[in-house]
Amino acid sequence: MILKIAFRNIFRQKRRTILTALAMIVGFMLSSVFIGWSDGIYSNIIDMFTRNRIGHIQVHQEGYLDRPSLYKNITVYESIGNTIQNNEGVEAWTPRLYAAGLGSVGEKSTAVRVVGIDLMREQNATKFSQKVIEGRPFQDIALNEAVIGNGLKKILKAEIGSDLVIFSQAADGSIANDLYKIVGITDSGDDITDRTTCYLNLSAAQELFVLEGRIHELVVIVSDINHVGRVTSSIKDTLRGLTLEVLPWQEVAKSFYNAMQADKQGDSIGRFVIILIVAMGVLNTVLMSVLERTREYGLLRAVGTKPIQIFGLVLCEVVIIAFASIVIGAAIGTTINYLLSVYGIEFIDGFTFGGMKFDKLHAEVNIRTLIIPTFTVMLSALLVSLYPAIKAARILPAKAMRTR
Amino acid sequence: MENTQKTDVIVTEEITKVYDPDRIPIFALNGINLTIQSGELTAIVGPSGSGKTTFLNIISGLDTPTEGKVWLAGKVLSEMSGNELSDYRRDNIGFIFQAYNLIPVLTVRENVEYIMLLAGVPKTERHKRVTAMLESVGLAGVEDRLPTKLSGGQQQRVAIARAMVSEPSIVLADEPTANLDSKTGSDLLEMMRKLNSDTGMTFIFSTHDPMVMESAKRLITLRDGKIDSDETK
Repeated sequence: MILKIAFRNIFRQKRRTILTALAMIVGFMLSSVFIGWSDGIYSNIIDMFTRNRIGHIQVHQEGYLDRPSLYKNITVYESIGNTIQNNEGVEAWTPRLYAAGLGSVGEKSTAVRVVGIDLMREQNATKFSQKVIEGRPFQDIALNEAVIGNGLKKILKAEIGSDLVIFSQAADGSIANDLYKIVGITDSGDDITDRTTCYLNLSAAQELFVLEGRIHELVVIVSDINHVGRVTSSIKDTLRGLTLEVLPWQEVAKSFYNAMQADKQGDSIGRFVIILIVAMGVLNTVLMSVLERTREYGLLRAVGTKPIQIFGLVLCEVVIIAFASIVIGAAIGTTINYLLSVYGIEFIDGFTFGGMKFDKLHAEVNIRTLIIPTFTVMLSALLVSLYPAIKAARILPAKAMRTR
Repeated sequence: MENTQKTDVIVTEEITKVYDPDRIPIFALNGINLTIQSGELTAIVGPSGSGKTTFLNIISGLDTPTEGKVWLAGKVLSEMSGNELSDYRRDNIGFIFQAYNLIPVLTVRENVEYIMLLAGVPKTERHKRVTAMLESVGLAGVEDRLPTKLSGGQQQRVAIARAMVSEPSIVLADEPTANLDSKTGSDLLEMMRKLNSDTGMTFIFSTHDPMVMESAKRLITLRDGKIDSDETK
């Protein structure tokens, strides 16, 4: 009967019910779209960061990441890579060789980071050719071609076709120097990388640094970024017994990951604002409703309704409105999130975040966009209804029934 | 069959009720000592503001006295918790308010059924009792109407049906005939008299209505919050 009274009370003051519901619907919608959009942005950023730079999982010789060295390298990487590829969830892998050197074009010289890559595998894993904005990637078989970053091109005042001299020290202690033809310029979206990086064919780099058959890093791309942890464990298992370190991107790029996490914490401010919107709307209308019905609560108490039942009656009305609002809010919020995930929002001049350039961002439809707003709306509505409900439950029947 | 075993159902000791004691104190009741026994049909009379409604509110636990004690079937009201009071009112007291006080979102049937539902009376029993009660107060056929669709007299009859359907031991009625025409008022009084004599139900009215005063077996007159006279017929 209490439920029946609650349900019918909702339809007594339709305008007030609609106002209360609107506060909840708008609150849910805002919360849902806010989460969908920010999750989408984080996914976009993380995906770009991992696919463009570090991959989802990296395999190195033990201690390489802490103190990178030309000598901490991996042999038989082809066989290791193929073993990794057999793990469920692995999409691609690619080997990389890293070395530092001096790069010169004409009279201009600067420090360069030489990255030896297997063009075909790099293309599979990180879509390398898409980063080449001028010229072309080097030929897979060509040994003396180089692709340099856009920033490095400016520093060295280089052009497509310029000769690049790389000068360094090889793994055997000999002087490593050679002449390469610049065939392409990259824009990876990461300014720091583009100011220093010079890509060589892996075999060319191995020959230059006398590291034949060796690499420093094996980058793994997984098909679903949310399964990185599971795939990392699985790869660790298959490589047990080797002196290799298998690390997920969260550990490889700790500072980036921590910055992302810290940024996500900022979401709670947004959520707090939404809770305030819901709370103010609900508190106002519920309090007004309790005040208007003081006489009725007095009557219910007089005929034997217990205080806890009156308390339940007020909360019940709020829960029914909240439930309906959540259903409507979820439908609208999910539709907006879906449209934003499909069409995204384009930025005319793009923007840079963490050295990465973004032209278009997409929202995400996930379970968080439903669960968090549901709890946010329901809890804030219930929380602010506690005071009016307690007030109604503690009514002194005779005094309440004197109210006109 | 008249219940001959008389017990004290309500005892008051020096009941005082002061409104606004901190500013200009108004003594609604001032030292009321009274004993009402089971099966009585008592009318509390007196001019407006004499304390009739306040007295009914206090002896039913709807209001608290500023001073003094009320015993209801041997229990001190001020020592009962909110829940105990609710249970006691639900199981033992039927209220008929002057302003009907029906639950506006419930139909006639649901209003009458409400107290039995709180008391956990089974559905078939509830249905049977409500139907019989509505018939006896002349409301058969309007069971599914909301109170707003009834006349003042009909609403009062719903309130009476609600008060008596659960067969409480005490019925407290605040000006029960005030909004009824003389025929309905007379029928109602007859019904109450019958219930009183058949079941031994205790009735306490506050009233200005000479017809009610005529029906009562005991007449207590209040004046300025004090008992002015107490006559048993």
